[in-house]
Amino acid sequence: MIEVKNLHKSFIDKKNTVKALDGLSFTAKDGEITGILGPNGAGKTTCLRTLYGLLKADEGSVLVDGLNVLEDPLAVRQQLGVFPDKFGLYERLTAYEQVDYFASLHGMQGAKKKAAIAQIFKDLDMEELAHRKTVGFSQGQRMKVTLAQALVHQPKNFVLDEPTRGLDVMSTRVLRNHLAKFKEKGHCILFSSHVMQEVAALCDRVIIVSNGKLAAQGTPQELCDLAGEKLLEDAFVKLIGSDEGVAA
Amino acid sequence: MIQFKALLIKELREAFRDKRALMVALSMSFLLPIGLMVAFNIIIEKNVDNPAIYVKFTGSEHAPKLIESLKDTNILSFADVPAENKRQWDLQSIELVIPDTFAKDMATGLPIDVILRADSNEQSLLTPLMRIKANVSAYSTNIGYKRLIVRGVDPKLLQPIVLQEQDMALPSSTVMIISLFLGLYLILTAFMSGLSISIDSSAGERERNVLEMLLCQPVTTLKIVLAKLFCSSSVSILAIVVMLVLTSIAMDFVDLTKIGATFSIDAFTFIALLMLLIPLCFLASALQLFLSFQAKSFKEAQSTVTMLIMVPSFIPFVMSMMDSKPVWLEWLPISGQSIIMEDLFKGLPVDWATLAITSSSTLILTVAVILGLAQILKSEKVVMSLS
Repeated sequence: MIEVKNLHKSFIDKKNTVKALDGLSFTAKDGEITGILGPNGAGKTTCLRTLYGLLKADEGSVLVDGLNVLEDPLAVRQQLGVFPDKFGLYERLTAYEQVDYFASLHGMQGAKKKAAIAQIFKDLDMEELAHRKTVGFSQGQRMKVTLAQALVHQPKNFVLDEPTRGLDVMSTRVLRNHLAKFKEKGHCILFSSHVMQEVAALCDRVIIVSNGKLAAQGTPQELCDLAGEKLLEDAFVKLIGSDEGVAA
Repeated sequence: MIQFKALLIKELREAFRDKRALMVALSMSFLLPIGLMVAFNIIIEKNVDNPAIYVKFTGSEHAPKLIESLKDTNILSFADVPAENKRQWDLQSIELVIPDTFAKDMATGLPIDVILRADSNEQSLLTPLMRIKANVSAYSTNIGYKRLIVRGVDPKLLQPIVLQEQDMALPSSTVMIISLFLGLYLILTAFMSGLSISIDSSAGERERNVLEMLLCQPVTTLKIVLAKLFCSSSVSILAIVVMLVLTSIAMDFVDLTKIGATFSIDAFTFIALLMLLIPLCFLASALQLFLSFQAKSFKEAQSTVTMLIMVPSFIPFVMSMMDSKPVWLEWLPISGQSIIMEDLFKGLPVDWATLAITSSSTLILTVAVILGLAQILKSEKVVMSLS
């Protein structure tokens, strides 16, 4: 479970101050897929980076399975599988070596590690990729390797930052199926996106973020009802766009 | 420990699969032994084989015996110069003017002005000019002695004091220059060999978008930095070992005894050099990582880190200009190693206490840089520049 409480974060440079997060709070529960929806620059990536402990919040706290990121970022990261905003691959390593590397970083070793890697390659149907160097992989193949390295240690909580960006339909489906399977097992999944269909199709709960604040939250259906619109897209625009929106 | 091992293995795998960077790293080690062999051979040729010198004589017909004596030591007339060297000897011209009155003045015992005209700023002329001077003055002394003997005077009376010089330095000054150059080259190798690997594993990883993923993992930044440090410094240590081995093999093919010099890398020198250079390799890698992690792009990292190379090449150079070196120079990184290496090449005993001090100061500086870098990697500034 991921609990975000009253997060504030400002970026200050010489000329101006940007308030990226302004009292954002939400909860992503176990066994549910929670989507963070927001326009560009709403603070999604900042929120997720605070969650991994890369950024320190000015105020507020993030709890992952009850552990506070500010106090013990390493213990929190141990509970997390991370699919970051921009992901690259180590192009001189094979897919297997790369997943092996991240498994070891999570402290896995010996037969247990081997079994876990074999399992994730099987789950993602990428066994034939295993011993190829990752240079020249297609976007879909890259996504699979990144997914494998994020999930190889079977994290309780899984955070993805716009994972479907640049993926074709087939790859998106693979990702979606995998997330659904993960949810079945009772894991907590949090992902940010601005693709409406995807959020509508996949998420149990949607959190709409705008200007660093929570604009609205609920199931996709609840959000549509709240805004009085049929499509999530229209509801989204209405909820973030108007001054007399629900959050105002 | 599992984490550190994984980090290190990954860094080494990446480094050793980057064939181009590795080739650049090791190319320095191959260049030095070849360069040294060529340089020593040129010196030996100059000093021992007395290559031909071509002089533009004026009035040579007035002093045939002097010309004959010059010819005996391979100092020849410009008229005899082979076509392929003609331009060179015409440019760096040496003129020797013998007056018309030579034979007459010689017979009457008057002093004769023979003029030697050349550009003394021309480095390549130093040895030829010295040889001509020595030859002419030997010829002159020879005639003078004969005159005294004819008059029944012992020539020894002319030399009440004979100064016996006992040079503590290496017999040949050129060998001194080579040993200075060698020291500089070794330090440069320590600084340059790991360079591309340091940049690739820091600024390169940031540019390939893999750094963020790594920073999201449950590992301390200190472990990440240490793994990168060990990887890039192990490459430079490898480069130095290869270079020393090749140099010691190459030296077997050069007969230095011809110029009265000895230079060999025996087991003792080898170990002493490694002890001096390994801490420097660590320091160099640490500084390179420190700078390139802060650079905004791969390119920026390359230019700042290249500036860093100026430091090790500058310090020994400045030190060679100093007449008296303050003692603290022996304790500092780079200058300390450079002084000890100079002693080592001169064949002086190694001052182990100084070696220990300079090595520890180098390692302390390395640790400070690494701890600083680990701290910086935790800062938001680094994370912000990821995107």
